[in-house]
Amino acid sequence: MSGLKDVIDGALEIGRAMGVTLKTAITEPPVTVEYPDQPMAVYPRFRGRHELRRYENGLERCIGCCLCEAACPTGAIYVEAEENDPEHPLSPGERHAKIYEVNLMRCIFCGDCEKACPTEAIVLGHYIDLAQYDRRDLLLTKEDLLNPPAPNTVIRPDA
Amino acid sequence: MSDWITITIDGRQIQAKDGELLTDAARRAGIDIPVFCSHPKLDPLGACRMCLVEQETPRGKLLITACTTPVREGAVFHVSSERAVDARQGTLELILINHPLDCPICDKGGECPLQDQTLKHGPGKSHFWEEKQHKAKNYPLSDLVLLDQERCIICWRCIRYLQEWEDKPQLGLFHRGGETVIDKFPGTELNAYTSGNVIDLCPVGALTNRLARFSYRPWELEKTPSICTHCGQGCNLRIDSRSHRVRRHVARENPAVNDEWLCDKGRFADGISFSADRLTVPLVRKDGRLQPATWEEALSRVVEGLKEVVDRSGPQAVGALASAKVSNEANYLLGKFMRGVLGSNNIDYREGSGLLADPRGLPALADVHSADLIVLIGCDPAEEMPVLANFIKRASIRRSVPLLIIHARRPELARYPGVFLNPAPGEEIPLFDALTRATLEARMEAGAEAIPDWLSAETPPAAFPAEAVQEAARLLLNAEKPFIAYGMDYAWGFGARGILAALVNWVAAAGHTERLGFLHIQANAQGAGDVGALPHQLPGRRPLNDEKARAELEALWQSTIPAQPGLGYSGMIDAAANGLLKAMYVMAADPVGEKPAHAEALKQLSFLVVQELFLTETAKLADVVLPAASYAETSGTFTNTERRVQRAPQAVRPLGKSAPDWLILMHLARRFAPDKQNAWNTTSPEAVFAEITRAVPQYRDMSWENLGEEGRQWPWDALSVSRELQAHNGGLLNEPDDEYPFRLVVGNQLWDGGTIFAATPQMAHLGIQAARLHPDDAASLGLAAGDAIEIRSQAGAIQTTLHLDPNIKPGTIFVPFSLRDAPVGTLFDSRGPRTVVAVSKVEAPVAAPA
Ligand code: SF4
Ligand code: SF4
Ligand code: SF4
Ligand code: SF4
Ligand code: FES
Repeated sequence: MSGLKDVIDGALEIGRAMGVTLKTAITEPPVTVEYPDQPMAVYPRFRGRHELRRYENGLERCIGCCLCEAACPTGAIYVEAEENDPEHPLSPGERHAKIYEVNLMRCIFCGDCEKACPTEAIVLGHYIDLAQYDRRDLLLTKEDLLNPPAPNTVIRPDA
Repeated sequence: MSDWITITIDGRQIQAKDGELLTDAARRAGIDIPVFCSHPKLDPLGACRMCLVEQETPRGKLLITACTTPVREGAVFHVSSERAVDARQGTLELILINHPLDCPICDKGGECPLQDQTLKHGPGKSHFWEEKQHKAKNYPLSDLVLLDQERCIICWRCIRYLQEWEDKPQLGLFHRGGETVIDKFPGTELNAYTSGNVIDLCPVGALTNRLARFSYRPWELEKTPSICTHCGQGCNLRIDSRSHRVRRHVARENPAVNDEWLCDKGRFADGISFSADRLTVPLVRKDGRLQPATWEEALSRVVEGLKEVVDRSGPQAVGALASAKVSNEANYLLGKFMRGVLGSNNIDYREGSGLLADPRGLPALADVHSADLIVLIGCDPAEEMPVLANFIKRASIRRSVPLLIIHARRPELARYPGVFLNPAPGEEIPLFDALTRATLEARMEAGAEAIPDWLSAETPPAAFPAEAVQEAARLLLNAEKPFIAYGMDYAWGFGARGILAALVNWVAAAGHTERLGFLHIQANAQGAGDVGALPHQLPGRRPLNDEKARAELEALWQSTIPAQPGLGYSGMIDAAANGLLKAMYVMAADPVGEKPAHAEALKQLSFLVVQELFLTETAKLADVVLPAASYAETSGTFTNTERRVQRAPQAVRPLGKSAPDWLILMHLARRFAPDKQNAWNTTSPEAVFAEITRAVPQYRDMSWENLGEEGRQWPWDALSVSRELQAHNGGLLNEPDDEYPFRLVVGNQLWDGGTIFAATPQMAHLGIQAARLHPDDAASLGLAAGDAIEIRSQAGAIQTTLHLDPNIKPGTIFVPFSLRDAPVGTLFDSRGPRTVVAVSKVEAPVAAPA
């Protein structure tokens, strides 16, 4: 006989739970972010896709010292340096990066490259739209890094 | 000096050699005393104070510099006492006051003793916050060496190197105190041929490699212990590469060969492994033009082409040019292919059968360090082997060893005490005869045998002062351990046989035949002969009619080796010209580049294969061009002029689709003779070397592994060469006349206009790309320095620029080999370089050397 009672009790429980769901659905606003239609919120120190920064006068900060490359635990960075043409320098001083590549397939977004950089040239930004259809597009060149896309994010206040 | 004594360092008793420097004693005992200015190869100076330690003396504990303090029995030192540590921290703080600390962009960063010692011994902070001194940065001392004065710590190593080894004081210190800077002396240049060694010596990034600048960080380099393949000394170097590109060469220590020095050609001219001009795909002639092809196509074409000639005209119609620039493996396999697969002995290289080199080369390079007399005959180490030249200078300066030099022009080394004799081409035999006679006369006074008739019949040459001849004869006769080297100038071309015989007579009369050696200029001129790239000898320098040798090799190669000698280098080209030779396989040789007239001969061939790095003048005529890999791109062994077999392991992968010589020959042989595949199944250059050790008796005890990093010499007495007094016949040279008033003198200069520099464009303009005349001769012709001139012989003419040089003997003109766009070979007639020429001004200026 207890079988019938179980069925009835179960139905009541489901009804009660559905009630809660219904109530919340009607009275509370949704928390889901409609990404990518809506920007994603990240913390200020979130480590997203890399950027190479410039000084205000337009010169590249990177001096091609390869310290980021040396610091990187996954070997994701490749740098080749070159001497600046004194007439048209790319960076202050004698040296700049001729090739700068970040391999996002290897990167673990640890931020060690940022920490190693003596000129604060390489930074991990807030851009997070990293999915690509072609593996080759995950190899960021110096051009890509100097001209980062605008991140589709909003900064969450630091908790 | 060498008695062992006991000293105390930090309370620890250690054994030391009496009188050695404290730094050396401590290093042996594993006690770390930091140094900057002190260097094992330079005289102690005590300039930097980095090595301060305390010594107990009757006057109490004194701070002394360990690098200048000889140790004595019972001496007591404190390296880690508070005062010593404090003093060293103070020194470092002082050094760093004005140091720019631009480590991130400094080529030394990562291998910088200043960085390391600051971490280990530095105070960690500075008392100073004032603005640092600013001095010249990025300041070129030459095209090769760059100075950053701010980084210099005034250790004097560069200054001392140039003084003590190169004997060319070209750098000095200027100003004083914190403003002291290193600079060139006013009006001088840093142009010593081994100037790059100061880069290795500089303990900071003040002196850096201008060509390699910013192309590496030390920690990311792959380091391959290798050797230099630019000359016959075979200096040991390290190839530093990254992502399969050679980044720089640095010196590697080998006391028997190069101590720890390199010349600037060996250090900086590394462009051939990545030059944009390199051949990267096989080329096959189609429709009259060389066109890119696959290896498959190219090799089939070679097999077809050679087969056709062999079938039609027999194997004797095929010839091969080997090369002293490539490895033993490449030369051995080309010889094996010619003899064992095709069945022809037509194989030779430019420095091969035509050169009267001693088959054993030189007794030993290191002999200069103990010689009591240095005799240089027709060779010029200062231009040909600068590192050896430095050893010679040092022997003269440090040990007062006299230099006895016989040369057609006055070489740099003639500035050292000794005797310099200056025979023009054609005067060598009378000179050597006079020396022999003087030697025998001196010995007769001591009761020795009489002078042979054929010698006393000669009249003494007027051109040589009797005293100088007497003195030279006396020097060699009285020497106990002379270092005697003769070179290419007297071993090649018409009359060389007579000259060599006359030279041997002199050396034999003085009793030193076993010390007479040959100085090979090309990196593997010795090895190519050892492994059998010669028309009249099998591997191991054994004659073709040596039945036992033939049988051994026939078993190894599974073939029959023809017994009749083949054609030599020039013989093959002549045979090509008159149609006897129908096909040629040219490996790393460029006969057309040397003498454009050779093109006519090669055009007669029905099939020409060239295996090369670059599209040379010869390659342009080829039916198939096979792109070869350079010294850095494959492993191989090279045998230097003292018979030292050394390894040159692969450092980077072959450029493009180029392939190592050994691999190309391997594939070729297997395709050509499928039935001999069992004799052609080595799959690595190391395995080819293993086969060489079976084919060449002198190499029998060697293996790739046991060559080690310093190589192994095969014994001098493994071959005997008979060297006795004998009558000789020089043959007559053309005498200068009104039409051709100058004798031609050829020779090498370090900065030549050849491929090595063409491939390293930053060096292409170095040196003087010009022919040289004595100023008096030029004046009498109305010529001035820099004039465009034409030099004409009966065989041909070249145009070049004129340079005036008082070291040239009047009546002669010096034209270096590999002069850019003016191959001196054009002037050679059938008698080779010993010819006469006319010099005239060209009105339409030739392009001036850049
Ligand atoms: S974030 Fe970390 S893993 Fe990624 S490139 Fe930088 S150092 Fe390398
Ligand atoms: S990003 Fe920074 S650390 Fe990396 S090479 Fe450039 S300057 Fe050096
Ligand atoms: S010399 Fe050494 S300490 Fe000085 S900037 Fe260069 S790497 Fe740094
Ligand atoms: S340039 Fe280098 S080797 Fe020369 S004195 Fe300065 S620190 Fe020493
Ligand atoms: S190392 Fe001793 S004073 Fe420089």
